Amino acid sequence: MTFGPAVGNVGMYVAREMLAAVPEERRGAYLRMVEEISELKYQLGVEVARQLPRLLADHPPEQVARYLDQVREVAAVGWKSGVEVAKQLPDLYEAPDERLAEAYVEIVADATAGPAEDTETAELAAELGALERELKEMEPKVRRRDELKSLLAARDRRDEKRRKHAVELAAALPPILARLRPRYRPPYLHQVRQVAAVDPEASLEAADTLLDLLNGERVSAEGAAEWVSRGLEVLERNREVGRGYFRLGSKYALQVLDELKEGLALKSVARVLKLYATALSGQDVAIRGTNEMEAVDFFGPEHIVLPPEMRFFEDDDRNFTAYKVATAHGAGRIEFGTYRFQLADVPELVGTLRTRYPESSA
Amino acid sequence: MAVESQRIEDFRLTEEPYYLPLGNEVELFEAAYHGRLPVMLKGPTGCGKTRFVEHMAWRLKRTLVTVACHEDLTASDLVGKYTLRGDETVWQDGPLTTAVKAGGIAYLDEIVEARKDTTVVIHPLTDDRRILPIEKKGEVVQAPGEFLLIISYNPGYQSVLKDLKHSTKQRFVAIDFDYPPPDAEETILKTEAGIDDDTAAKLVKIAEKVRNLRTHGLEEGVSTRLLVYAGQLIGRGVEPMAACEATICKPITDDLEMQRSIVEIIATQF
Repeated sequence: MTFGPAVGNVGMYVAREMLAAVPEERRGAYLRMVEEISELKYQLGVEVARQLPRLLADHPPEQVARYLDQVREVAAVGWKSGVEVAKQLPDLYEAPDERLAEAYVEIVADATAGPAEDTETAELAAELGALERELKEMEPKVRRRDELKSLLAARDRRDEKRRKHAVELAAALPPILARLRPRYRPPYLHQVRQVAAVDPEASLEAADTLLDLLNGERVSAEGAAEWVSRGLEVLERNREVGRGYFRLGSKYALQVLDELKEGLALKSVARVLKLYATALSGQDVAIRGTNEMEAVDFFGPEHIVLPPEMRFFEDDDRNFTAYKVATAHGAGRIEFGTYRFQLADVPELVGTLRTRYPESSA
Repeated sequence: MAVESQRIEDFRLTEEPYYLPLGNEVELFEAAYHGRLPVMLKGPTGCGKTRFVEHMAWRLKRTLVTVACHEDLTASDLVGKYTLRGDETVWQDGPLTTAVKAGGIAYLDEIVEARKDTTVVIHPLTDDRRILPIEKKGEVVQAPGEFLLIISYNPGYQSVLKDLKHSTKQRFVAIDFDYPPPDAEETILKTEAGIDDDTAAKLVKIAEKVRNLRTHGLEEGVSTRLLVYAGQLIGRGVEPMAACEATICKPITDDLEMQRSIVEIIATQF
């Protein structure tokens, strides 16, 4: 059983029977002594606590003080030797020759401390200490070095990717320029250059998309510039999203395009008009844009040529109606082989319509 | 025992079905009937094949048993089968057997949709034997002189896998059907839908234009039947554009661009 917290840490070393063996008037001193010695090392406190009761009982206070001094002396050079000395000393005090204990302590202390002149060990220890201090001071620099290494490796990978896309752009541009209508080439190159300067990968997407937008006349050159400008803002914020913008793969890109487009694009209604003309004329009719005029005969028997954009009206519905009128006109030419028409050619129809709409014919 | 087969009187037409002859199909059909020759009607959906058969059945005063063929239709469905009724197993004649026994007209609509084993059943009825073997009963029914077998199919949308074999085709007198000429179609619309001349003319004009889109994305043109529906809706006060969209445009295609072009065609008339 040990004492509780009332006697501080001493309770950890002093068992009740140990304390009971100490004369009552000296118990306070006993506990203080154990406490003091245990501050050097826990194990010393344990051993001294065991030995002190018999010393306090059989020896005068001077002898007890001498015991504690000798234990401290040896423990100062090596605590394990101190524990052994604390254990053996009380028996040596019982010897008739008092010098035995003195000699014993000196021998153990000297043996533990080693030669006083071991300067090499001290130097090595000093050097090691200095090195460790230096290394500790360098730790932030080492961390920074690692950060820089990984940063540079990432940039290297990015640059490699950039160079790869630049090569792809170099291969892609000439055929695109050959397909692009000549008047759009200068503004086209200007726009692609702007995007390429920021991100060659995005410029590959922009190169394709701008070709379609300009050749299909879905936007004017000014509209294309605005579309690219808005895309560059997106690209600055997020590369991946920006690339999606330039491939028309984002809702925002389409929304911007919708804001910028002028009129109704033929491409968006070409199939409906084709079916309309085919139904009206009874012949398989193709719809072509005037931008294809170099390749097609305007009065070909199998196609109707229409402007690539219809911009007569503000809204798409009325622009579609304009397309529809032009398509019906073209379908008539295909069905009857001519644009020439005179009311005198259809007297029966004129008569029917006069009957049906008497006010208009007046 | 053979009990409670379909009552043949259920198949007798009591009123004359309206049919406007477009060529010599009536004479051809009557000659085939009197010559006991089976008839095959070919033509697009909704052009009047079924109405023609109904008209001829009434005209010849025969009962008419019509079977709409489908991919699960078997020879047993046509000929008959044993069914459980209480503790008894009873035989029930199929529609083909009913028609044969009664000397009526059996009309197998869209025959190519039925399973192949059905052709085994109809072959003996289509040559000079004119018999219907009922294998499950071990019986052979001899068709009376008044019996006539008619089949129909639509060559327009049959695939290679779903076509009639030549050994079947070459057992029938074939009568071709197509959409009626404009004047006739107008007459049909006025009669069937009760609409005025102008509306009928417009519907026929729309149909003519829409039919030009066959092979351009439409499997079939708009049928006369759908034009009649359009006319009936207009006759009941539905706004013509809405009536035409519901009957001429939406039933024949799900392609939105095709629908839009058809709406524009309709808009040229209404």
